[in-house]
Amino acid sequence: MLLEVMKVWKSFGGVQAICDLNLGVDKGEIVGIIGPNGAGKTTIFNVISGVYTADKGSVILDGQNITKLPQHEITKLGIGRTFQNIRLFKGLSTIENVMCAFDPQSKYGFIDSILPTPKRMSEEKRGLELCKHYLEIVGLKDKLHSEPQNLAYGHQRRLEIARALMCNPKVLLLDEPAAGLNPTEISELSNLIVDLGKKFGFAIILIEHRLELVMGISHRIFVQNFGKTISVGTPEQVRDDPEVIKAYLGAEEGK
Amino acid sequence: MAIQILLNGLAVGAVYALIATGFALIFNILKFSNFSHGGLMTSSVFVGYFVSVATGWSLIPILITSILAGGVIAFFGELVAFRRITIQKSANFYYFVSSITLGTLYEAIVTIIIGPGFYVYPMFFKKPAIWIGNFVIQTGSMVMLCISTVVLIILVYVIEKTKTGRGLRAVSFDRDTAYLMGIDVYRTIRIAFVISGVLGGLAGVFLGIYNFTLTAQLGTMVTKGFIASVIGGLGSITGAVIGAILLGLLETVLIYFIGSGYSPVVVFLVMIVFLFLRPQGIAGSNVQEKA
Amino acid sequence: MQFYISVITQTMITLIAVAGVYVLSNLTGMFSLGQAAFMAIGAYTSGIFVVKLGWPFIPSAIIAILVSVVIGFIVGLPTVNLRRDYISLVTLGFGEAMAALLNQMSWLTGGASGFSGFPKLITLPIAASVAAVSVILVAFFKKSKYGRQCIALKGDELAAKAMGINVARVKMIAFLFSVGLVSLSGIMYAFVITYVDPSLFGWRKSAEWVIMAFFGGVNSLTGSVLSVVVLTALPEVLRFLSDYRMVFYAIVVLLIINFKPDGLLGTWELTPKGVKSLFKEKEDTKCS
Repeated sequence: MLLEVMKVWKSFGGVQAICDLNLGVDKGEIVGIIGPNGAGKTTIFNVISGVYTADKGSVILDGQNITKLPQHEITKLGIGRTFQNIRLFKGLSTIENVMCAFDPQSKYGFIDSILPTPKRMSEEKRGLELCKHYLEIVGLKDKLHSEPQNLAYGHQRRLEIARALMCNPKVLLLDEPAAGLNPTEISELSNLIVDLGKKFGFAIILIEHRLELVMGISHRIFVQNFGKTISVGTPEQVRDDPEVIKAYLGAEEGK
Repeated sequence: MAIQILLNGLAVGAVYALIATGFALIFNILKFSNFSHGGLMTSSVFVGYFVSVATGWSLIPILITSILAGGVIAFFGELVAFRRITIQKSANFYYFVSSITLGTLYEAIVTIIIGPGFYVYPMFFKKPAIWIGNFVIQTGSMVMLCISTVVLIILVYVIEKTKTGRGLRAVSFDRDTAYLMGIDVYRTIRIAFVISGVLGGLAGVFLGIYNFTLTAQLGTMVTKGFIASVIGGLGSITGAVIGAILLGLLETVLIYFIGSGYSPVVVFLVMIVFLFLRPQGIAGSNVQEKA
Repeated sequence: MQFYISVITQTMITLIAVAGVYVLSNLTGMFSLGQAAFMAIGAYTSGIFVVKLGWPFIPSAIIAILVSVVIGFIVGLPTVNLRRDYISLVTLGFGEAMAALLNQMSWLTGGASGFSGFPKLITLPIAASVAAVSVILVAFFKKSKYGRQCIALKGDELAAKAMGINVARVKMIAFLFSVGLVSLSGIMYAFVITYVDPSLFGWRKSAEWVIMAFFGGVNSLTGSVLSVVVLTALPEVLRFLSDYRMVFYAIVVLLIINFKPDGLLGTWELTPKGVKSLFKEKEDTKCS
């Protein structure tokens, strides 16, 4: 397994956000996480990416224990993510937003940063080429210099994805990438995600409420409720699971 | 001797507590450090001073004058520097720039009026010192300690038990929800500023009494209040009080042993060590950000 | 004429310091109320080496900047990762502590009566060149990977970390760069005015720089440069204003905060791209 979350528990004050989570994902797999609001889904991403440290249990990425590592190191080891509430960098253009993810990998130092040295110029060029490349893949080729806040919502989400791609992830975490999109946009996003998986070969974990998206492209689905995993399986298995149906009864069915 | 130092330290700490709570109130309600607080104190103290020179009034009326001055100046300050950015829900650093500017404005106005000189604060007390058993304590310190304690108790009562206090706590907790619950958020914020101004005016008078002299540099005293807030845990009123008292004690002890010159250095070191060991202060809490 | 030369020289020196504050505050979002202490460290250290030890100017200046950066590192270590308000308070405390030290150690520093005897080595052309170079270095920094990472972490530290940015390290780099520039400004100051005393380097000075940096724009180096020129030179030239200088600043800045909160120039820069954008039509969110 490329990423293994083993027996993870996480609580805040008295609230148990994750109870005994066991989740694994392989190269090229798309795994979906669904569940009613408040089920602790984003917390799972936060524990994997290092925003929180698990109270118990461990997170292993490609054989390495990343449970207690700081966020930026986890990212360097191969976790890229997007956010439920879009978190783009204000004050930076679209392409600069993606460059920010390149910058930690950029090979020049302080002196180069205050002077126009050849090393700086070539690294900056390399980075910009990569940024353009990723932005093109997500379809934002002609919006390179726009302000992120001026982009359409769907485009902002794509920008977040491009930025995450720049982190060279082995595992890509997408947190509700379809929120706020109309059916056409969802279908385009769906194709994009599958294409990315095929093209880059990384594992993708997807938190989503829009069942048509997550059921359509996932190889496996985890259903979370109140921090616990109540069902695991293929989309068909999960859809017919009475536990899942019970959990969703009364809760909003997709948006 | 030790008791002497203790009592003096408590008295100074009480005044710092007034400063720190004025500061903490604003921090709680608007989530920023009000750097104009020092300038506010300076201005209200000088109002009190000039009134006392003109009228020869005794301590209590002058206290009331300074308190009123503090409240009014704070109200005006909120209007001019903070109201718009509060309504527009600007990012945190706008408040910072605004409060520094406002503080600079207060001090600049005071400096223009009084110039670089210093003024001797009127002696309000017929007896400069009181005997308590075997111990001597300056009348000024005693009065400061008593009045400050009373005021702080009143403040805690207001915050915990009155409708206004509940409003203050609600807005501190969650501005939008408070608004939806029917609380007049902007009015509550204004009230917080006025109370903070009142506390500041009071603290200023006491600092004047304690130091005997008054300069435009009084605002520097407020750094002590800030530091007390940090030690106590930014945002926590109780923490601010405890931090202030500790600071007052520490400072008085230090001045006794190494003189007043080096004490800012030691205070700073203490603050750093404290932050290293317990970043949330004495009573603050670590709030984990939700992604 | 002499008067105008001295005003412009002063402006150049302030420019160096404000460029340093720009890096720390506009770019990275940290507000230090103790940066002026580093100006003092720069001035006094170079003074001690040149005046008391008879060293030549340039090595003394270099040592002074190094000393400042080392002290900056020590102060920065526990400080830069604190929350924003704490950073201000701690740097404030540091500034006060430094002022107290300078006052107390009068055997070394001349105490409250100040340190004099600096040879007047810095003239207007030198100050202007150093200022120009400083601004250019900051401009390069802003465009570099560090500049971007600073802006990113200023806006959203969590997301910055998630993109692999080592926030602690970037903050420290910005802080030390700022310290270096401010210290340089202090050295320049000392060797022009030939006299320094601790009262010049308090939190008010630090605050003044922050105000100047933001007056010009929330993230505009051009704006900060402009505001230094306007806010320093103008009150001096209109001499009747100089007593009221601080009142004037404060009122103008408050007006700007109320009515144009992003500062005069917002985030606009005097670059080819910036100038072009003045003529381009506002970009629409085109219907796709």
